[in-house]
Amino acid sequence: MSLAAPRKERAAGARRGGTAPLPRRGRRDSYALFLLPGAVAFLLVIIAPFAMNTAWSFTDWQGVGDLTWSGLSNYRELFHDAQFWASFRHSLFMVLSMAIVPTVVGLVLAAALFDFVAKHYGSKVTTVLRACFYLPQVLPIAVAGIVWSWILAPDDGALNAFLRAVGLGSLQQDWLGDPDLALYSVMGVMVWVQIGFPLVVFMAGLQRVDPQLYEAAELDGAGWWRRLWHVTLPQIRPEIHVVLLWCTIAALKVFGAIYVLTKGGPGGATNVPSYFSYTTFFEQTQVGYGAAISTVLTVIILVLALVGLKAQTRAEDVEEGRAA
Amino acid sequence: MLTIRSTKHTRTRRVRALAAVGVALTCALALTSCGGDDDSGGGDAKTLRLWHYEAANSAMGAAWNEAIKEFEAKHPGVKVKFEEKSFDQIQKTASMVLGSDDAPDIMEYNKGNATAGLLSKQGLLTDMSAEVRERGWDKLLSPSVATTSRYSPAGTMGSGKWYGVPNYGEFLMAYYNEDLFKKYDIKVPTTFDELTTALGEFKKNGVTPLANAGAEYLAHQYVYQLALTKADRSWVDGYELKGKADFHDADWTYAAETFADWVKKGYIDKNTTSATAEKAGVSWLQQKSPIIFSGSWWFGRFQDEATFDWSSGVFPGASLTPGSGGNLWVVPAKSKNKELAYDFIDITMSKKIQNMLGNKGGVPVAADATAIKDPKSKELINNFNTLTKNDGLAYYSDWPAAGFYETLVSETQKLMTASASPEKYLDSLQAAYDKGVSKG
Repeated sequence: MSLAAPRKERAAGARRGGTAPLPRRGRRDSYALFLLPGAVAFLLVIIAPFAMNTAWSFTDWQGVGDLTWSGLSNYRELFHDAQFWASFRHSLFMVLSMAIVPTVVGLVLAAALFDFVAKHYGSKVTTVLRACFYLPQVLPIAVAGIVWSWILAPDDGALNAFLRAVGLGSLQQDWLGDPDLALYSVMGVMVWVQIGFPLVVFMAGLQRVDPQLYEAAELDGAGWWRRLWHVTLPQIRPEIHVVLLWCTIAALKVFGAIYVLTKGGPGGATNVPSYFSYTTFFEQTQVGYGAAISTVLTVIILVLALVGLKAQTRAEDVEEGRAA
Repeated sequence: MLTIRSTKHTRTRRVRALAAVGVALTCALALTSCGGDDDSGGGDAKTLRLWHYEAANSAMGAAWNEAIKEFEAKHPGVKVKFEEKSFDQIQKTASMVLGSDDAPDIMEYNKGNATAGLLSKQGLLTDMSAEVRERGWDKLLSPSVATTSRYSPAGTMGSGKWYGVPNYGEFLMAYYNEDLFKKYDIKVPTTFDELTTALGEFKKNGVTPLANAGAEYLAHQYVYQLALTKADRSWVDGYELKGKADFHDADWTYAAETFADWVKKGYIDKNTTSATAEKAGVSWLQQKSPIIFSGSWWFGRFQDEATFDWSSGVFPGASLTPGSGGNLWVVPAKSKNKELAYDFIDITMSKKIQNMLGNKGGVPVAADATAIKDPKSKELINNFNTLTKNDGLAYYSDWPAAGFYETLVSETQKLMTASASPEKYLDSLQAAYDKGVSKG
């Protein structure tokens, strides 16, 4: 692929009799012009605020008035701040509920829909089911969050009412108000929110798997789970990489759901770095400290994304090497 | 406005030449970042840009709407441009907006060290001391109401120059569902002992007596009020104004222990840990709890929505109770029409507007007692006047430091769920208080 284009260009240049370099450069310049809006927007919306935020993280500032340079003191404070570390611990739980569980469940569901439901009940049923699983992704998190907080409400919430109705009243809980439970309740909601995305990506990925592989495996006597493990999984590895990376990043920066469901409470039991940074920055007006939190968060996400991308590229290279 | 305009602008350009989009976008972004001052009205003395965040059907909203009409009648050719903002919006962006050319000419702002105090320290508000004296507003406001209008150069309330003027007062009180008291044959309490007896009686009848909200201000206001039942004025001043609080003194210890005990005994439902203030108010309105201890800002709504007989009063046995002057009218330093802004404040302080505020369920600071017709409103205003006369307003527990509100909410949630003991609860409050006050 990569060799084809220059070869064609060379041929075209030769036909025009040596005048080729000029129009080519002209075309490249006009391409550069197309990149300009994106570059300007990137600079103004991403790079500049990030640079400002990083600069503020080295200061002691309340958002207005005098700004005092404080060097690394915000980072030192951060290092000893139990609340900050707790929020990061909660972040890991979020990764579990927003990346790992949805990926695993999404994979099984996608394979089941593609392989079993589509074959036995037709593509219409599959499409409807897929749409149902995807629905939470379409709902604004503010709406979904408020509805969930009604469902999980302690006295008149739907979940507790349901438990009462089926005679399991002893299992009723203050789902979002009990510090031992709140994080798990939020995690449950996040699995529900997230599941549609891996499902849709994996189903698309499954379309391009050669059906002969399944047939061969089936003839060799492989059951459904073994086909999933030995055929589906290796075949859609690139999709799995993308989904895992994407969802992990989403989990690390989760904010809306926490804001709507618990506001980090009760007693900080569901606090996550982005919400912690927000309250520190805007509500406590400790701009310097808030900026330090979000800078650390950004660096972690960036490192994670780079490592993930690198691992993916390496895996793909290995795969291609094997294919060749 | 501006965003829509630049989008349209960009769109036409895109049709003409794709390559020009970059330039157009750059222009649009540059334009936005300049803030576009063509909307601001300028200092033409023809427009008064006013921001406030009171709902139109609240006492303040209604009274101020009337004040706007009167202002326009008295100033022919001047238009009031009211821009509705939310409390949160002003709270979170005030410092940025007031530093820019987009500042309004006059706005409502939250009182206290962490809010108006901070802005005054940063030089974002106009010192209106001369105007206050000249127009006699200082004579209309009692000293404990005026506390939140004056700030020292360090931004601490209570003394110094005048940076704001409140039109109304507010305080916390107990609202009683008289029907439920009658139903269970319990006496509406007037002393603290009667209150604890009533709480026990209700609980015995299977009713949770106190409405509460752990996710917002209600829970820690119970704690603060309990401390106030033991405290005196110098304790309040030390806590609120001087940054000297000892959370392990007898008063705080009593408050934390009593509150934890009330939760344990079921006077306060543990299930309200993550409840919002709105939910607490509604649970009182739905007659789930016979008592709610909260602000006078509920008064108008309760008057409209309660379907049962009710009464209100200062917390039983308390001579000190949380409360203060209401939110302030402030004139931003960058206001382009300061004289008009003062004229507007003057109208809001007039008898006509003040009486209207009182009749709508607000707590006016300068009303004619005889002009208030509704007996419930009369009682409310009397309670407030008694408190101010006896120097009984103790401000709010979250005032001493910026961000202390979050700490109070979060720590009181821990106290409610017993994940922190009263001792540990007070430790955490002390740490956050000391840190906040030193940064103040």
